[in-house]
Amino acid sequence: MKELSVVGKSTRRVDTSAKATGEALFTADLSLPRMLVAKVLRSPHAHARILRVDTSRAERLPGVRAVVTSGDSTGEKWGVFRYTQDQAFLPSDKVRFIGEEVAAVAAVDEDTAASALDLITVEYEELPAVFTIDEAMKPGAVLIHENNPGNINVHVKIDVGDVGRGFAASHYVREDTFSAPEESYFQAEPYAVVAQFDNAGNLDIWMPNAGPHLKAKPLSNCLKMPLNKVRVRKITIGGAFGGRSEISPADVICALLARKARQPVKITYTREENTIATRQAHSMTTTIRTGVDREGRVLSRDITCHMDGGAYSSTGPIAVSVPFLCMEQAYRMENVRYNGYRVFTNKPIRGMMRTHGRAFACGIDLQLDLIGSELGIDPVTMRLRNARHAGDYTPTRSFVPSCGMTETIEKTADAAGWKEKWGKLPPFHGIGIGCNSVQTGFPMGIRGGSTAFIKFNEDGGATVISGVVDNGQGNENMIVQIAAEELGLLPEDIQIVTADTEVTPSDPGSYSMCETFIGGNAVRLAAVDAKEKLFQIAARVLEAKPGELTARDRKIFVKGEPERSIPVARVIRMALSKGQPIAGEGSYWPKVDPKREWVENPFGQLSETFSFGTTMIEVKVDPETGLVDVLEAWASQDVGFALNPKVIEGQFEGGFTMGGQGGMLTEYHVWDGGRLLNPAQLEYRLPLAPDMPKIHSIIVESNDPTGPYGAKEAGMSVAMSAAQAYVSAICNAIGVPIKEYPITPDKIVKALEGKKKKA
Amino acid sequence: MRLPLFQCLSPRSTKEALEILDRYEGKVKIIAGGTDIINRLRQRLLKPQYAMTLKGVSDLRGIKNKKGHFLISAATTLREIVESPDIAGFAAGIAESAGLVAAPPIRNVATVGGNLLQNTRCLYYNQSELVRKAAPPCLKQGGKSCAALKGGTRCFSVYQGDLAPSLIAFDASVVLKKAGASRTIPVLDLFSRNGRHPLTIGDDEILTDIIVPIPKGVYGSSYRKLRLRSGLEYPLVSSSVFLSLSSQGVIDRARVVVGAVGPAPTVVEGAATFLVGKRPAEADIEKAAQSAFSTSRPIDNLALPGSYRRAMVKVFTKRAIEGALLGLRKAGA
Amino acid sequence: MEKNRVTLRVNGEAYDLLTYPHRTLLEVLREDLHLTGAKESCGEGACGTCTVLLDGAPVRSCLLLAIEAEGREVTTIEGLAAGGKLHPLQEAFVEHHAIQCGFCTPGMILTAKALLDAVPEPTEEEIRRALSGNICRCTGYAKIVDAVKAASAREK
Repeated sequence: MKELSVVGKSTRRVDTSAKATGEALFTADLSLPRMLVAKVLRSPHAHARILRVDTSRAERLPGVRAVVTSGDSTGEKWGVFRYTQDQAFLPSDKVRFIGEEVAAVAAVDEDTAASALDLITVEYEELPAVFTIDEAMKPGAVLIHENNPGNINVHVKIDVGDVGRGFAASHYVREDTFSAPEESYFQAEPYAVVAQFDNAGNLDIWMPNAGPHLKAKPLSNCLKMPLNKVRVRKITIGGAFGGRSEISPADVICALLARKARQPVKITYTREENTIATRQAHSMTTTIRTGVDREGRVLSRDITCHMDGGAYSSTGPIAVSVPFLCMEQAYRMENVRYNGYRVFTNKPIRGMMRTHGRAFACGIDLQLDLIGSELGIDPVTMRLRNARHAGDYTPTRSFVPSCGMTETIEKTADAAGWKEKWGKLPPFHGIGIGCNSVQTGFPMGIRGGSTAFIKFNEDGGATVISGVVDNGQGNENMIVQIAAEELGLLPEDIQIVTADTEVTPSDPGSYSMCETFIGGNAVRLAAVDAKEKLFQIAARVLEAKPGELTARDRKIFVKGEPERSIPVARVIRMALSKGQPIAGEGSYWPKVDPKREWVENPFGQLSETFSFGTTMIEVKVDPETGLVDVLEAWASQDVGFALNPKVIEGQFEGGFTMGGQGGMLTEYHVWDGGRLLNPAQLEYRLPLAPDMPKIHSIIVESNDPTGPYGAKEAGMSVAMSAAQAYVSAICNAIGVPIKEYPITPDKIVKALEGKKKKA
Repeated sequence: MRLPLFQCLSPRSTKEALEILDRYEGKVKIIAGGTDIINRLRQRLLKPQYAMTLKGVSDLRGIKNKKGHFLISAATTLREIVESPDIAGFAAGIAESAGLVAAPPIRNVATVGGNLLQNTRCLYYNQSELVRKAAPPCLKQGGKSCAALKGGTRCFSVYQGDLAPSLIAFDASVVLKKAGASRTIPVLDLFSRNGRHPLTIGDDEILTDIIVPIPKGVYGSSYRKLRLRSGLEYPLVSSSVFLSLSSQGVIDRARVVVGAVGPAPTVVEGAATFLVGKRPAEADIEKAAQSAFSTSRPIDNLALPGSYRRAMVKVFTKRAIEGALLGLRKAGA
Repeated sequence: MEKNRVTLRVNGEAYDLLTYPHRTLLEVLREDLHLTGAKESCGEGACGTCTVLLDGAPVRSCLLLAIEAEGREVTTIEGLAAGGKLHPLQEAFVEHHAIQCGFCTPGMILTAKALLDAVPEPTEEEIRRALSGNICRCTGYAKIVDAVKAASAREK
């Protein structure tokens, strides 16, 4: 690879100055002329038929400009897949969870809108409700959706090899069950929407999103408007973490109100609404049966997982599959059976969140520790013996083109001083390891690829037009770095127009960890396209062949002879004066198996490539209180190539904090039936600065053959491997396995008491 | 989310404030620092017609060393308590309590009086209307039965103030004033032990001052609090201990006060018997802590199970006793 | 319901406003003065995104009534950069990648500024304790702490 000038450096991000000064505008910061404020009326019942909605008094309240109910919607049902379309926004038949949207009001100010909600009367007929997986699956339980017997939303079944024979041949077999209640995203920015129709019936809409194109199509379906009239606009976004990929009822409600009122409308969710009425993570119970040979190599695995999906499908088939797929990627397993069930309950809707199921990932990994303990094999060796390698095929037949798993294990163990510490730490001190793998993109049909355009100014600057979206992880900067590198310009020469469905071409969004791989590749290809055209002209001027040229620092020159150069700006002008202006276009579509389907055909190339990672932590447990002090952490990931090392470290550190510290020690939801008792930050405990240990980030680069500059993904792996490391380390510290997460202090105290009793 | 509508009154003196309370009898709620009541207003747990802010009342702040006692005016901020060399030097447990409340920005405005007079809390009560209206009102909301202990007829909402246990450990009193009258009661008597109406202060009264007697001789104090993280949290249990040494070098006075287990802080009388009259050894501390455990009966109405919190009463009481003993030793025992 | 007349001093300028008494300082700053740097993330004073400096001390503007801020000096994030030049803390946050989604950033920077004003060379522990009331969901705080350390050295 040529020596890089921009990519691979920790350049300052292009978006952060505006955030530092408070100038960056998030959706709730927007103010449009004559804008109205809207509020949503929500169901107080977990399960009830809607008999009558009377909005007449609300409509008459001075200051109210529009009221909408199910009658104003098209009745179109949303679902990520055609076979999961079960959610009507503003339902007419039933409400299925406490907090579901029933009506909405747009008024001149928030106080008026709130008063108007009190004037809407809704007559409900309460129905029995189910709040746990067991209750929902019990024979005779009330059905939340008529077409789903047993309240089973999705059943993913994968059976590879011969699991029975593998167990028979195993030296040691064990089965463990792991469980965890749901967690939540708690993005710093609560959900908000601003919608405006213009005179020609075009909708402009802003909301925090993980892919404007993923929002536009469902909006166009729900509002029965052609796509070119649905313009999801660029906005600064305060975090997504997997919870903002799908269309939301608030999007449609806001648009309906704006259309009816003929004025712009803003809805701002409270923190509570963000927790209850967008998405949460799944609670789940996972039973894992694993058989190994004498050396601890897994011969057979049988996994059953039940996930509580809440009241609607959301990303159901994907959510059920990903926890398994991450693990089948991370570890070799010839014979494996997976039965994943997503079950409906009368609770808020569950989506996919970074760790993708702590009860799953931590279960697989802790079990490796436990098996190793039985066989006298340490956890690191257990991971090394089962680790995925480049050139492998996963059980569901994805080829793994690049894999730094072993390297991440070895480097992390080395940095953490594993050999010196394992088995030698003082009482109630522990060290643990977690390993995982993450996809880089899923098959997403016609929405699975990205296209980018590049235009040039006569004075040598360029603008990249791309659908790539930035939720805070640094994707905008990634585009600038790639374009600057490829075009031989400086980052400050590159402007970007991104994530706006009127202007930018389709892109899958920051969904399935694919923005760098797919979006970044598209930008690179567009730049390469432009560069080829620039080189054609430059070659003639420099009397060289295009293949002999390179570009850097705003100049195109002959490789090895920097004096034979011409400024990029001049080449652009030359093209213009010839009447042949230069523009770049590039498209990237991942080479995935288009026939692969989550439920019907879960086989074939899932992603073009995969990332791999390992985290280790050292902990000290206070045996009297059960409180855990994390002393130090080492987080590593094979990211393919680090496009911007400091940005990647930020992903490691943030993922570690969310998946590990929060996810395994303090984050969980508490319920009273269908009522969520901790929807906000006082009672849902997010990690704080003094809680965090020193985190050493170890970037491993396997140089993927097709990733942009070899890059893969860097945003999700550490969240998961950190969660696993927390469990491994804590269980090591106390000498007792804990299988219910998060590991709150009461669980540690109880485990220690149990251990004492046994002894 | 918007606050409910109310008129706001801004007195410039304590006298003016008392007149307002008198005039608008029962219709006024006081905003001191606001860090507790504003949340409850936003959740519509109360919807007063009038709010009265004390932020413009200059004669309600300050810590005065009055030879023999401290006079802490009620609108003194928690930060001022933490930064006061007098309090840190003479009433360490109280300084510790104040320093463990929430986080620095909260402590910049939260007041001593407001912290003392906070209402009791419960996972089932401190919710917005979206959550509360999805179930019948609980006892504390004026309903028929407890939502935490289903069907229960006693309110177990928890007093989670950090300051009260330490003030009680120091035998502090409060001055309650109303138009034309004033009374002084021990801090302990501020609490009714009834979760539905946990405070005995009248609607027409303002807590103006806290009197903390400065103990004589050699003494030590400590406050310990259970929380899951290193900030922002109310105590899940807490323990405040005061120990003083006689001239013979044995404990002559011991106060063990447990917080966050029920509607009021509890003085554990039994604990004192294991500590007084001796130089407590490990076994004595253990017995005193066990006594605190026995008298505490938290239920499952906060973040962690009541049984765990109960077990932690013992652990944190032990640690608070050890902390107080350390303070004793530092004071030259 | 009557509106109250209140004069707010924000970032060195005086604003004469008419506002209903139940409005918080956060709402008035954002909606009346269009200073949207201070944000609402939790609605209960638990997250710090609404932080402003009141006479130099960080406070939760969502827990203060607008009328209670009369007579005090309010500093918002918009008041930090002087003459278009970033404050050393803002510069350090950008330089050290202490900003990801940016929602917690204004509150975080203001709280850090108050720390450095009082303690010019804080230890790491002091930095973390000072920021213990500001929640960040993206960064894990590591680079925020680096940025504050760097800014403290720079201010020397």
